[in-house]
Amino acid sequence: MFSIELVVLSTLLAGVLAYIVSIKLPKLGSYLTILASLAVFSVLAYFGFNNNLDAEVNLIPQFVLFKTSMFGLYFAIIVSFIFFMVSFFNPYFIKDYKYPAAYNLFYLMALAGTIGVFFASNFITLFIFFEIVVWTSMFLIPLGKKRKPTVTYFVFSTVGSFAMLYAVMFTFSITGSFDLAAISVLSGKSALLVYILLAVAGFAKLGAYPFYVWLPKVLGKSPDPVSAVFSGGIEKLGAFIAFMAILRISPASIYLEAVGMYLQNYVIAIFGAITIVVGTLQAIRQDDAKKLLAYSSASNGGYILVAIAMSSSISLTGAMYHILAHALASTAAFLAIAVVHYRTKTTKISELGGMIHHMPLTYMVYLMAIISMAGIPPMGGFISKWLIFQAVINKQMIIVAVATFFGSIGSFLYVFRPLAALFLGQKLPKYKGVKEAPFLMMIPLIILTLGSFYIGVIPNQVIDFSNKVIAEFGFGPLLMNEFGIQGANGTLSAPIIASVFGLGVVVIAIIFFILPKSRKVGLMDTYTSGEFIYTEELLHYSADFYAPFERLYPAKPLISKVYAMIKEKVNELGRFFKYWFFTNKPEVTVLWIVLILTLLVWGDIL
Amino acid sequence: MSVILMSMLIGLGVALFGFTLQTTIGGINRKVVGRMQKRYGPKWYQEFLDIFKALSKRAISHGWIYDFGVIMAVGGITATAMFMPITDSLVAFAGYDNFFIFVYLLAVGMLGMAMSASGSGNPLASIGVMRALTQMLAYEVPFMVVVITIIKVSGTSSLTGIMEFQQANGWFALSLPIGFGVAFLSLLGMLGKKPFETYIAPSEIASGPMVEYGGKQLGLLFVMHEIATFIEVSLFVHLFLGGASNIIEFLAKYFIVYTVANLISNLNGRFKIDQVVVFFYKWPLALAVLQAIWVLWR
Repeated sequence: MFSIELVVLSTLLAGVLAYIVSIKLPKLGSYLTILASLAVFSVLAYFGFNNNLDAEVNLIPQFVLFKTSMFGLYFAIIVSFIFFMVSFFNPYFIKDYKYPAAYNLFYLMALAGTIGVFFASNFITLFIFFEIVVWTSMFLIPLGKKRKPTVTYFVFSTVGSFAMLYAVMFTFSITGSFDLAAISVLSGKSALLVYILLAVAGFAKLGAYPFYVWLPKVLGKSPDPVSAVFSGGIEKLGAFIAFMAILRISPASIYLEAVGMYLQNYVIAIFGAITIVVGTLQAIRQDDAKKLLAYSSASNGGYILVAIAMSSSISLTGAMYHILAHALASTAAFLAIAVVHYRTKTTKISELGGMIHHMPLTYMVYLMAIISMAGIPPMGGFISKWLIFQAVINKQMIIVAVATFFGSIGSFLYVFRPLAALFLGQKLPKYKGVKEAPFLMMIPLIILTLGSFYIGVIPNQVIDFSNKVIAEFGFGPLLMNEFGIQGANGTLSAPIIASVFGLGVVVIAIIFFILPKSRKVGLMDTYTSGEFIYTEELLHYSADFYAPFERLYPAKPLISKVYAMIKEKVNELGRFFKYWFFTNKPEVTVLWIVLILTLLVWGDIL
Repeated sequence: MSVILMSMLIGLGVALFGFTLQTTIGGINRKVVGRMQKRYGPKWYQEFLDIFKALSKRAISHGWIYDFGVIMAVGGITATAMFMPITDSLVAFAGYDNFFIFVYLLAVGMLGMAMSASGSGNPLASIGVMRALTQMLAYEVPFMVVVITIIKVSGTSSLTGIMEFQQANGWFALSLPIGFGVAFLSLLGMLGKKPFETYIAPSEIASGPMVEYGGKQLGLLFVMHEIATFIEVSLFVHLFLGGASNIIEFLAKYFIVYTVANLISNLNGRFKIDQVVVFFYKWPLALAVLQAIWVLWR
């Protein structure tokens, strides 16, 4: 037996320890984060899989209550694993931070906070830990030396937090209970209100439309490990909240015959669809590899929302699978870009080129990650997308289907962009002597890639687990047989696909190597239509990669105009208050003095 | 286990059959086009000669990714072809010929080729890849909408299942005529036939992705192209023309579809890439969605 409270508390303690150690020895402190997150992950995984996690021990005062559930465990294992994987990068980035000790502390506190959220049994606990995550992660962002994204993150997190707080208090005022199960008791309009509020909280955290704008700003500008942790881990809190809101609350509303679901779920699915399309279109446009991946995170969050909204065994399994597959793939992609950033000091695609010749392993990791993100076999993303498509077709949601297909094909476009221009293309002379990732960085890269591959070939364990999770929500299990997953209109056999693909590659490789050997030539030795070109830069096509396509839609997402307007209004209000109350202009001060004196002297008459 | 081994052998046979079939029909079509243009045209086996000549030549390589991409491309496409049913009873992996496998496994091959082409360091190749991906985004979405209509109506995404459904209830070409038209346009896009051959555009970007290749790499990519064409045309035959109950029927339907596509190709000019996107997202997509709503939500 192992108590959850002990896990959370010892993670917090480890954070404090790491803080103290890193005041003098920042690097040692960052190694501590590796050990601590390893400990958290292994404890959760080991005791969780054996059903031995204990929620009864009360070390913290009574209002913080935990419970064990398969649902929470699934998320906790994934997120702690992501924290563990990313922590290998901390030692290399720690020296760039202004406050390395604080980084180590907040990193572990954020981990403790996420675990607290996933195992919370009442809303007070949930909210406390949710806020711990928000605040600690907020201080992680500016260590990338940019203040502005922090503000953006804070604003959007506040929207989510307030929505959640309001929902919690409202539920309490009606049911008199803070228990998580209380929301299922709600009915009628109050249920609808809580549903919307919790959905807003989930959307804000997951970065779904219309709140997705914080993702590229924050993930693009934070330190690289923080971006990876956000994309693979912290963002998943939003999915967790959305799961709870959509599946536990059932407000009475209109049932849509055509798609076989309730109106509010359909609206969520439509929002998910918009997220997919907008995220994809913006990702295609980005020149910064991290921003590109951030938009892709948003778009994948859209898939998760669509899947949750459909609320069937297949779709929920798809959502659970997608959370795992995306966490692994997106973290691997972010970390691969982090390696490039670490070695070259830039993430701008148009400035890079030919990295494959310097770091082949990182390239392979990125390649496998994008294969999974684009939903191509034999990686994990294929299975989750297949499940989600099955559900979309089964529910015959045509409009949403258009968006999901668009996002799926569109993802080929944007994930290929860094591949073609950053890793491939001409070997630019200015990056001569750039080396492969250091050994410690390679460990998580390889593990994540193998994990992605494993769940893409043998889905049985994950599906077994997620069957237990969806059983907690009252859905029947997804059927499996030895080779395949039984979908709504067909069977998918991941092992067969993988082995056939392997066979195809082996056969062709044999043919390839039997045929006459090729002569190696340089990259500049290419066909140039008779032009004489001597510099690599001139033969490297990387800026404005999809220019003809990009011309077809507006550069800035339309919603950013709305946000700009809101920002302007808030600024105006701030200026108003600043002018009248916080000014150093004598005339205003005199006016206030006169007014107050008037009130004091003749107040009773007035 | 022996069942799977047997299936794999049959699958390799299917892939080889597809290659032979498409190369032959491609050769015949060169003759057909030749006659149309009042030429005599090459021999029907000219394409085989081209491929085997390329395979036997010694060529250049631009580094490991250039070679690895080619292997991944041809391997991926071969694997995809192995799942393809030829008639309703001749299928290597019965029960696993899911439509989505073709769409996504095909993408592995495409990704391999794109990777290899970009790895050659030639900007023309990268431009070609960019266009190919953009075009894929254009034609794939209307096509998928039509296909989900078919899957929902027939209740299965297995190609043999869809075939059997059509043999009992009539071809989808007749019951979903709008979708048939849309899918045919998408097929032209998939095959890279004019007016959608923007990503090859020999006179403009020197054959796009293929610009750097020669020797065995080029030969293998020819093989890949033939097998990919086989997959795309067979998909169309199975989805809309009721598949086939014997091999003669399949050959006839296949020949007609490919020849019609090829003839249309020879009567057209070339779109610019943004025109391709606008074209597909205007009428084909709208019609496909309308038809889906009409058929499914009624």
